[in-house]
Amino acid sequence: MKRRLGAVALAAALALSACSNDPYPDADASRAIFYNVFDDPPKTLDPQIAYSVVDHSVIGNVYDTLLQYHYLKRPYTLMPGLLEEIPRAEPQPDGRVAYRLRLRPDLRFQEDPCFELSSPGSRTRDVTASDVAFAFARIGDPAVGSPVLETLVKISGMREFGEKLVKRRTDDASFAALRIDRQYAEIGGIAGVQVASPSELVLVLDEPYPQIRFWLAMPFTTPVPWEAVAWYDGRDGHELFAEHPVGTGPFRLTQYEKRSRIVMERDPSWYGARHPGAPGTVYPTDGEPGDVAEGYLDPARVGKPLPLLERIEFRREKEDIPAFTKFLQGYYDLSGIPQESFDRMVHEGALSPEMSAQGMRLAKAVGADIYYIGFNMDDPVVGAPAGERGRKLRQAMSLVADTAEFQRLFTNGRGIPAQSPLPPGIFGYDPDYRNPYRKVDPARAAELLAEAGYPGGIDSKTGQPLRLTFDTPATDTRSLLTFQFWVDEWRRLGIDVQIAATSYNQFQDKVRRGAFQVFQFGWVADYPDPENFLFLLWSGMARTKNGGPNTANFEDPRYDALFDQMKARDDDPERLRLIDEMREILERDCPWIPLFHREGFALYQAWVAPPKPVGMAFAVDKYRQVDPALRAKLRAAWNRPIRWPAYALAAVTVAVVLPGIATWRRERA
Amino acid sequence: MPLHVWVNGAVALFALGAAVVAWRLRQSALWREAGRELWHRRPLALAFVALYGAVALCDAISWTDAEGTGVRAPRSLLERAFPADFHEASYSAPLASVEFYGGQPLHHPGAHWLGTDILGRDVLLQALRGARVALLVGGLTSLIAIPLALLFGVAAGYRGGWLDDVVLFLISVLFAMPGLLLLIALIMALGRGPVQVCVALGVTGWVSFARLARGETLKLRELDYVQAARALGVSELRIVVRHVVPNLMHLVVITFVLMFSGLVLTEAVLAWLGLGIDGSWGQMIDRARDELSRDPIIWWNLAAASAALFGLILAVNLVGDAVRDILDPRTLRERT
Amino acid sequence: MLAYLVRRLAWGIVTVLGVLLFLFLLFFMLATPDDIARKAVGEKAPQAVLDQWKLNHGYDKPRIWNPEAPGDTMLAEHFRRMLTFDFGNSDADDTPIADRLLGGAGPSLAFTLPLFVSGLVLGISLSLFVAFFRDTYIDRVGTVIAVLAMSVSTLLYIIGVQFLLGKLLRWFPISGFDYSPEVMVRFLALPVIVGLVSGIGSDMRFYRTVFVEESSRDYVRTARAKGCGEGRIMGRHVLRNSLIPILTNVVVTIPFLFTGSLLLESFFGIPGLGSITVDAINANDFATLRVVVYIDSLLFVAGQIATDFSYTLADPRVRLG
Repeated sequence: MKRRLGAVALAAALALSACSNDPYPDADASRAIFYNVFDDPPKTLDPQIAYSVVDHSVIGNVYDTLLQYHYLKRPYTLMPGLLEEIPRAEPQPDGRVAYRLRLRPDLRFQEDPCFELSSPGSRTRDVTASDVAFAFARIGDPAVGSPVLETLVKISGMREFGEKLVKRRTDDASFAALRIDRQYAEIGGIAGVQVASPSELVLVLDEPYPQIRFWLAMPFTTPVPWEAVAWYDGRDGHELFAEHPVGTGPFRLTQYEKRSRIVMERDPSWYGARHPGAPGTVYPTDGEPGDVAEGYLDPARVGKPLPLLERIEFRREKEDIPAFTKFLQGYYDLSGIPQESFDRMVHEGALSPEMSAQGMRLAKAVGADIYYIGFNMDDPVVGAPAGERGRKLRQAMSLVADTAEFQRLFTNGRGIPAQSPLPPGIFGYDPDYRNPYRKVDPARAAELLAEAGYPGGIDSKTGQPLRLTFDTPATDTRSLLTFQFWVDEWRRLGIDVQIAATSYNQFQDKVRRGAFQVFQFGWVADYPDPENFLFLLWSGMARTKNGGPNTANFEDPRYDALFDQMKARDDDPERLRLIDEMREILERDCPWIPLFHREGFALYQAWVAPPKPVGMAFAVDKYRQVDPALRAKLRAAWNRPIRWPAYALAAVTVAVVLPGIATWRRERA
Repeated sequence: MPLHVWVNGAVALFALGAAVVAWRLRQSALWREAGRELWHRRPLALAFVALYGAVALCDAISWTDAEGTGVRAPRSLLERAFPADFHEASYSAPLASVEFYGGQPLHHPGAHWLGTDILGRDVLLQALRGARVALLVGGLTSLIAIPLALLFGVAAGYRGGWLDDVVLFLISVLFAMPGLLLLIALIMALGRGPVQVCVALGVTGWVSFARLARGETLKLRELDYVQAARALGVSELRIVVRHVVPNLMHLVVITFVLMFSGLVLTEAVLAWLGLGIDGSWGQMIDRARDELSRDPIIWWNLAAASAALFGLILAVNLVGDAVRDILDPRTLRERT
Repeated sequence: MLAYLVRRLAWGIVTVLGVLLFLFLLFFMLATPDDIARKAVGEKAPQAVLDQWKLNHGYDKPRIWNPEAPGDTMLAEHFRRMLTFDFGNSDADDTPIADRLLGGAGPSLAFTLPLFVSGLVLGISLSLFVAFFRDTYIDRVGTVIAVLAMSVSTLLYIIGVQFLLGKLLRWFPISGFDYSPEVMVRFLALPVIVGLVSGIGSDMRFYRTVFVEESSRDYVRTARAKGCGEGRIMGRHVLRNSLIPILTNVVVTIPFLFTGSLLLESFFGIPGLGSITVDAINANDFATLRVVVYIDSLLFVAGQIATDFSYTLADPRVRLG
């Protein structure tokens, strides 16, 4: 009996110690760790391939980029990163353009065993111009599969390099077996990427392309050591390079269980730690007007050497609500606001008093993005083949798509109703522009529908009701609910729109065959330039024909001509005029119903120094700061378990069982 | 011809079939006795199941009005029990007269007994309409799976030989694959939609009953009167139809009732994966699960769908227990 | 004996080969290589990248028949890879599938093992208790509770437990996982509770039936007539003699402990095989999915053979034929 009691006591003790909702080991409580979340695991950490936000949230910390954006200045301003200065375009006599990229001295890769390959016994080496050239060669290598190859073929010799490489590999098996850097060298490299000296690289473009500077601020062009690519090949127990980054950034990846957590720790050998004061290695001293008031220029941070954190922990959260609940319990430092919890958090655009009392703060940012409903312009009913009828139908459908009501129901009024593809903060955005087909006017819509030959939704020629499908690859109940909103609006007008929610594969198949009618998509900017939005309607990018991102298959020769003139211009009045003219075409033809530009609301805890909101994906973790002591205190206060229901449950169980035993005894006796 | 006409036809056919089966069963003393016993034991649960059935039936019969504005979609008998435009702008609480957020007056104040959802649709109506989906999932799937299982099971058990080997092979292959994964893969291959989901559920669900039917047939084949019939030169098809299948009917009924609740619960899991049937309770629950985090809390969506689902499953489970007790030959033997 | 074993094994192998063939047909009916590639390389990638991806993953080969080199087809490759356990790399992120599945088995077991053991103990003791008090109100209440518990969707249990125990009472973290034991215990509490509650209904019903049936047998009546105590009868005779039907029911589920639970692991953020499977479904990762299904069916077939075989050892009455 005694032994049994002991076991029960032990189990109870274990249960009590387990009875805590703290998801972290106790030892971490006092350290400057930043806790954040991710949902889908990163696809790859190969900087030449990675393209998603979550990929970049790791890569951006592990790799520094050649150029970087100023943390505080808006509109987004470039400043040097690994380069000494921002390269200028140098027009060549033959019409080509050259850029000189000069690396800072004494740049070093993070310590890693792969450097044994080049210098036995060594765990690091200096970054040279040939590492940058290696990165460009990887972009040009079709076997790597970089998504930006098509954009960067403007670099002289890029395409020829890829073609030569593929040909040699198929013709000559011994060549294909060579180490990757030797293959590139043997082919002779890319003609337009010339290593002038260990610290200088000359980039030659076939045509003017000022946007190239933005690509230099993205991880695609960051230098990569060939040793890492050769070493981490996934063979002989080595990891894959896509899972094991070797970079130049302020943090190193120390734990990569991408289905549950990602941990990065400060790298003591980072360039900034060895060269305090260089651009991007200390907290900025100047920003926009208003930054002081917002606390972004707090003297406790300004001028301090970066990074301000010891460690960054990303935990995977597949579901919004549990993630947000943990945020409210103090276990995450930063969070978006799920739609459901918004009203509790925010009152009339400001943080609710209840949350303010807990020290939480709110940050807003308008995303450089566009969400839109598109029409398949190849479709015989809604598209260009229907001529004027199709146009009027699209205009009518646009006139009843009530973005404001949608935002009221689904985004808590967050977001800016869109008038054209261009979001605020992008050159060419005009806050006063009102698209005449983007107001809500059911009466006019009904008129247009009748003019299109479908009075009341009935085809006047055939007498049959007009039926359209809304095609989508999203089958989760939540997305379907939002689509149902648009469909309801059109049905009220008399158009029988049905949602065709199919699997991703079936949707792809429909798109490939051009057998779709109406769809909803979004686009997030790669860089802050109107070209990155307006090319979505350029015929060269048509989806069904060319596999590009112009899913609406919009094709208009005048639009294409204007696009060609606009794309490489500097931001001058002529460019603005060209953009306005393109906007007019879109307004009248209505291949899209522009819906809204997202407005991100972020909450951060009292112990986090106010972070400036960023509408684009670039790494800001090195600027973050936390106060672990305050965090530990508040967490303890917020998470006292409520124990009495456990006691009550035990009491109820006893109360049910005891009379039962008594009854049974009586009956058997 | 429009879809709803076909559906009406199918419903009529189904009702006719059910009536014929019921009439045939009444002829047999054994079944009449079993029915009486079941009614005696579980009157409430049976009434509940019948109620769900009636609601589903009302929702399955629909026709289009000649007049009206907007899209002239067919409306079911059930929908016609509610006002024509029974729709608000967004959430409203049960029996409320104003919108939940913003406090705008409603078009139908006090008329939404269980409130409205985010798009302003009446929750009571949606919960009632879920019955049709649930009965479709349970019923159509059984209509696919049980005949399939009987065909294969009886054929394999009665004929033996290579046919038996082939069927056993099929059964063990399907049995060896993880059920839910196979189901998901099948639905992804066939596409989303009520019929597709039922076919996938049927394909994954027939196996265990086929095994049972095969085993039972093996036993029945050896029985004296079957042997005698064979010796008399009665055709094999006739033996199977007259002597084997009728003796499997109690197993069919038990399987059907016990399979039913599992199927409806599986649909709820599929809804979470985005593979459910539009309008099901599973979808309603999945949509509503995050609404508990709203402030003030929105509970009526989740509560209505869960209660409707729970009520049906509970009633079917209770009926199923009783049916098994009554029809299972082992318990029958013990009783006498 | 040996002949039986050989026959049983051969049948198992044929079954697994059938599973493989079925898998191949199903997956290539499901998605074309283009779709798999598009999902893997992302919406923004151009066609050339897509083609390269297909080349890298061997999805450019003819599917079933290659007139020039009969062995160089996707079908042949599929069988070769699966049968040699050379699973290759994931379609979604190119990581080795074998490593990933091995990494997922740990968390899955950490969750399913406690759930299995506590479910078994709780199920047997509760139903023993109920059977002990058979035909009293405890039995009736217990049976009703079991049916009630069975009638609730697992989805609802998850929502309810996370809301009540995680959010309102703050007893345990709502979701997550950690490899250090003292933190892991906290994370596993909620999923194990949900697993227990959602499984207890049908378990209890089954065990109760077994116990009640067993306790109405002649030898129990004899023991009772001899004046043996009721507690002793239940604990000694009934439980012991009920073990065989219970074990047959339980042993079959053991192989699936490795594969975890799709629903619970996803909701509670346990990075086990169930969660890997859901990720693979969402990412169109057929290379991983087919391996998961293959391994599952291998385990199942192996488990069945083992069960059959152990019967013959345990119970001489089972004749092998």
